[in-house]
Amino acid sequence: MVQYNFKKITVVPPGKDFIDIILSRTQRQTPTVVHKGYAISRIRQFYMRKVRYSQQNFYEKLSTIIDEFPRLDDVHPFYGDLLHVLYNKDHYKLALGQINTARNIIAKISKDYLRLLKYGDSLYRCKCLKVAALGRMCTVIKRISPSLAYLEQIRQHMARLPSIDPNTRTLLICGYPNVGKSSFMNKITRADVDVQPYAFTTKSLFVGHADYKYLRYQVIDTPGILDRPFEDRNIIEMCSITALAHLRAAVLFFLDISGSCGYSIAQQAALFHSIKSLFMNKPLVIVCNKTDLQPLEKLSEEDMKLVMEMKAEAMKTIAQGGEPNEEGVLLTMSTLTEEGVMSVKNAACERLLDQRVEVKMKSKKINDCLNRFHVALPKPRDSKERPPCIPQAVLEARADAAAAKEKKKLERKLEKDLENENGGAGVYSASLKKHYMLANDEWKEDILPEILDGHNVADFLDPDILQRCEELEREEGLRLEEEVAQEAFQIDGHELTEEQREILGQIRKKKALIIQEHRMKKRTAESRPIVPRKFDKDRKFTTNRMGRQLSSMGIDPNAAVDRARSRGRKRERSLSRAGNDGDDMDIDSQQPNKKLRALSRPRSRSKSRPPEEVVPGEGFRDSDQKKKAIKKAKDSVKKRNKEARLNQYDCLIDITGSRKERVKKSLSIQS
Amino acid sequence: MRLEKCWFCSSTVYPGHGIQFVRNDAKVFRFCRSKCHKNFKMKRNPRKVKWTKAYRCLHGKDMTQDSTFEFERKRNRPERYDRNVTEQTLKAIPLITKIRHERQKKHITNRQKQGKTKERERDAKELEQDIQMLPKKDVMLSTQKTKVVVKVSQQQTEENLMEET
Repeated sequence: MVQYNFKKITVVPPGKDFIDIILSRTQRQTPTVVHKGYAISRIRQFYMRKVRYSQQNFYEKLSTIIDEFPRLDDVHPFYGDLLHVLYNKDHYKLALGQINTARNIIAKISKDYLRLLKYGDSLYRCKCLKVAALGRMCTVIKRISPSLAYLEQIRQHMARLPSIDPNTRTLLICGYPNVGKSSFMNKITRADVDVQPYAFTTKSLFVGHADYKYLRYQVIDTPGILDRPFEDRNIIEMCSITALAHLRAAVLFFLDISGSCGYSIAQQAALFHSIKSLFMNKPLVIVCNKTDLQPLEKLSEEDMKLVMEMKAEAMKTIAQGGEPNEEGVLLTMSTLTEEGVMSVKNAACERLLDQRVEVKMKSKKINDCLNRFHVALPKPRDSKERPPCIPQAVLEARADAAAAKEKKKLERKLEKDLENENGGAGVYSASLKKHYMLANDEWKEDILPEILDGHNVADFLDPDILQRCEELEREEGLRLEEEVAQEAFQIDGHELTEEQREILGQIRKKKALIIQEHRMKKRTAESRPIVPRKFDKDRKFTTNRMGRQLSSMGIDPNAAVDRARSRGRKRERSLSRAGNDGDDMDIDSQQPNKKLRALSRPRSRSKSRPPEEVVPGEGFRDSDQKKKAIKKAKDSVKKRNKEARLNQYDCLIDITGSRKERVKKSLSIQS
Repeated sequence: MRLEKCWFCSSTVYPGHGIQFVRNDAKVFRFCRSKCHKNFKMKRNPRKVKWTKAYRCLHGKDMTQDSTFEFERKRNRPERYDRNVTEQTLKAIPLITKIRHERQKKHITNRQKQGKTKERERDAKELEQDIQMLPKKDVMLSTQKTKVVVKVSQQQTEENLMEET
């Protein structure tokens, strides 16, 4: 805060230096090279940038000065007055005002010249404009350089001002010069103030800190005040007057009762009375110093009277709530012998604290922190009973209430007691239905089934369910009647008779047969050898026919027929046997031979042929010839097949003759 | 304790069976067995899966709207226990369910009846059209007219002729 931290104000450079700083910065931070061959817009931009940059920097620096210096109106009146006393408020304001105007002027200059630069048509002209602009800005600064110097001086002085917090607990020490204020200050704080025999050793305010009851107090040492009319006071005195006037502190008015300061008690008393108006609302303590030289009791009558007058005044300033204790008002001490120093300090601190607490209690803020207070009760120092005083009526009322409560408790039996009686927690389970509110109390212990036949009973619960059920049954009855009527009506529909159904069955059978035949026809002849079509278009070559012909020739046809049949029939299962199950036995007799082939069925085993039997046919004379032919065919293929089954790692061992026999033997032994 | 309905197939989920899935929007899905659960996870729509009740009801295979369904309604407010009401309810439930079953059966038979009629029509048509496939001598329909010679006396024919003219 600017309030008490004047040390943080930036240095105000003197006028010349200010100009130098800004101009050198402009030169460094903006581009420096420009040629007349560049595009005119580029040249213009170059110079405009320089002008703008300088203006901005001037503006910034001057703004910081204006902002950082405290505004006397915004600051605590103590500081405001102090600064006024020290530096003259008007001069101060003027200086800052000048800075402000300089800033505005510079801004205007830059605006004007930027506008002009926009229309500069050659490098030389732009350059001249820029030079003019910067020159004017610098002149402005030169003109305000005295203000800058003045502000710099102020700044230096302000930095050395003591950092006084105007709002905290403060003890203010005042009195004539040389009465022993600074020595007192040195005694109670760590401040090292100059103590010299000449007057006005202390030329300004000094701040020290002292502790009392875990709180920190500022102790302000003021320069001595002389008894002069207000207007004649010099700056130093005005400092202390300001402090007295604005700081809410406890005032310690120092009296030198020995007179070794060079002023009599009368003079000091006169001073006191002249500035007592400043002691309004401040706890005042009158301190008689230098008692080692002149004890208070041995004072002369007049002096005593004066002192008592002062004391009377001081009494008036006691805080209203406090007790008028005379000890806290007039105190004696000697800083040399350090006698009574501490008591003075304590008294002053105490007075100040009381006053501040009182003020706080009266303010509204107290309510915020009231709940943080805790009242600690004292430890009894003796065994004497000191009970709080309660009126009799209250005691009676309390007793009645207690009795009622007891009675109520006895009446009701707790569930817990019930549980304990009946065997404890694990044994007794409380009946939760005890307090049910039902229409009939007998129903309390009823067990209600929740599920019935895969339905939730709760979903069906309805007070008028009987009625609805009856309705439903009536409905159902009606429906059933309707149904019966409908069925009766439907019975004489289009129903097929027995005969018709038989015919339909035949039709279907026929259809199925046609389909089968078609499917048969679709099959090729490769899988089963049949008489090729060119020989048997009409399916004339049947075994029956052959049998007839043979028997007409006189040969028994059965063997031949069997053999033919075994070759001609399909061996797969039949595709459809619908309607044919009953007809299996009658295949040969009733149905034509084409049907024989069409009706494929699995062969019965009674007519099977052993696998090695070779049947004559295929152009051979007899079975033997055929066998030989088959053997030859196999031999020709044998070697090739064997080689085919070998892989590259198999080696062929050529075993011939007796070796073959030996190998065979060994193999048989092994196996 | 409550019997719930499986979300997928609408069969009852008894206590101790099935899985309950709670989605982030707080909708609860109950499944009677892992088959339904897995179908759900596969994001199948029960209305398109043939064996679920949802499909059957949607496609009119099972009875959907009936007054017996009104008896079973989930109530959100609990009713105070009344012994008489409960007794009546317990007696009524089997009757209601019996009626409901009957009606469901009827619904299905009605549905299937339509197929029967179609079949009959088809048979009749087939009989009419395809009777020509069979050789004529095998077919002896009672509807076919056989020639019967009837002797008519001379007098009668003369009388008819007289009437005509």
